[in-house]
Amino acid sequence: MSATVTAPRGPASGPTVGRTPVQNVTFWRALHSEWIKLWTLRSTWWTLGPTVAVMVGFAFAMALVAQFLGDQMAEAGPEVEAAGAGGIIPGPLVVAFGFETAALVVAVLGSMIITGEYSTGMIRSTFAAVPDRLTAFFAKATVLAGVTAVLTAVSLAIAWAVTYPILDANNSTVDFSDGTQVRQLGGVVLYVVLVALFSLGIGALLRHTAGAIFTVVALFFVVPTIFTGAAAFASDIDWVVWVTKLLPSVAGAQITPTAGAVPDALDPWVGISVLAGYTVLVLAGAATRLKLQDA
Amino acid sequence: MIEARGLTKKYGAKTAVDGVTFTVQPGQVTGFLGPNGAGKSTTMRMIVGLDRPTAGTVTVNGKPYAAHRRPLAEVGALLDAKAVHTGRTARNHLLAMAATHGIPTKRVDEVIDLTGLQPVASKRVGGFSLGMGQRLGIAAALLGDPRTLILDEPVNGLDPEGVLWVRNIARFLASEGRTVFLSSHLMSEVALTADHVLVIGKGRILADAPVSEILDGAERKLVRVRSPQATELAELLKGQNAQVDDIEPGLLEVRGSNAAAVGELAASSKIVLHELTPVASTLEEAYMSLTADSVEYQSEDIAAHAGTRSDLEGSKA
Repeated sequence: MSATVTAPRGPASGPTVGRTPVQNVTFWRALHSEWIKLWTLRSTWWTLGPTVAVMVGFAFAMALVAQFLGDQMAEAGPEVEAAGAGGIIPGPLVVAFGFETAALVVAVLGSMIITGEYSTGMIRSTFAAVPDRLTAFFAKATVLAGVTAVLTAVSLAIAWAVTYPILDANNSTVDFSDGTQVRQLGGVVLYVVLVALFSLGIGALLRHTAGAIFTVVALFFVVPTIFTGAAAFASDIDWVVWVTKLLPSVAGAQITPTAGAVPDALDPWVGISVLAGYTVLVLAGAATRLKLQDA
Repeated sequence: MIEARGLTKKYGAKTAVDGVTFTVQPGQVTGFLGPNGAGKSTTMRMIVGLDRPTAGTVTVNGKPYAAHRRPLAEVGALLDAKAVHTGRTARNHLLAMAATHGIPTKRVDEVIDLTGLQPVASKRVGGFSLGMGQRLGIAAALLGDPRTLILDEPVNGLDPEGVLWVRNIARFLASEGRTVFLSSHLMSEVALTADHVLVIGKGRILADAPVSEILDGAERKLVRVRSPQATELAELLKGQNAQVDDIEPGLLEVRGSNAAAVGELAASSKIVLHELTPVASTLEEAYMSLTADSVEYQSEDIAAHAGTRSDLEGSKA
């Protein structure tokens, strides 16, 4: 017994050191640290709040549009109304209408979660505490993905509840027995999570907040606008069509309720795999830079 | 214990740290002294694995920093008071750091008390004074109760009370048997705090010795003599191989001799002395003489560059 008490504490404890319980660094502890870091910054609330607001607000506005169109059709006569039964705007599209705008806000969060550490110097504290940089980076990615997934799902649920009375009156609520509709709503969650992770990767590659946000906005919102416009007019030019349908946002959106906005679009699961592929590439590039370069 | 072997860091063509080898021993405060840009911070960043050495190795308590499973219990580092997210409160920053090692909240509050951060603990770091930032950095370094402390310019921006506090805590931690490695560009600070000193200039270790030895070794053996017969005395001294400088009429500075010898020589030649003062060197002078070469070298470089540039401009015109 006394031997246990007086035994040296091993090489890890110095002369008078060891009064503070200190555990090994693990992925879970790194995750816990990243969780604390996420919720202790105001910028998190500034980005997550608007994400919910955009998702719910857009859905509600779209439900009102559906209501208006429904009223117009009712006035036009019972035959037209019968033809349009089930609603002109499908339920999932109404509920998820704000997701691309929400993805933009989430992209800002995804970039800033890492560029904010570079601009303030925090990254040096992060890597001093967790010297295995990939553990630190993937802990960050996991927290971001988890929070984004839950947030998007909750936003969709609120949007569904808020729009339900209007959609129900127009006979166009989400049909949960329809596999396609369920997949489209699940796809929205997947899409937003991938945009967040893609942005994190760009942030880690560029280490600069404005540069990262500009890059992601250009890739996901500006370039697609130009190309989808071009593709609509030049559907006979092969490369324009190909580039358009392989753009990260266009490919990724095929799994969501906004599918089919471009000619000859990819299959939903192929499309989201293309976006996932880009995300993996960017994250791999970021991981390589983290590992090889000075912090 | 910190052991560096041939540690080198190059940034492109510029060599920041040039093959340094040294050992920092536990149980004492080791000062890391050098002018700004000498390579102190780069060396310290390499010790904790933030910068990758171009060549050479450095270990802490026998292993590279990143190989430790509980790095914060091995090394606490204040590398840069600004290594904190400005949008987070001091306490939340410490809680996030503590979480990586499962360090309890109790310890976070302990280091807050220890560093006098209580009044600002729940304020965001963005509004901190330099001194408060330093205290937070030291609090973070102490979180894991580490065996080795690395403090890069810890007294920077601190008020006199803070400077005294850092000095005392460094000495206290060393007295507990820990390794304390503290950098400064202020020799006076190192003289007051450190037992041992590493002097670095232009990326090279210029001296690695106890503070007292540095003071003795580089001492200017100088005696100041004032006499109405200074010219006569100067001749006699030169005859005995002493080096004599005429500072002003009637005032000499004598090297390569000592006060006793000068006094006896004067007495035997019946020369009147008005002043006979041995001048002890300070650590500051010792440091200046040690780093003089590296500084000189630097100005030559600048001169060479300036020459090249004007040549280029000349050829353009």
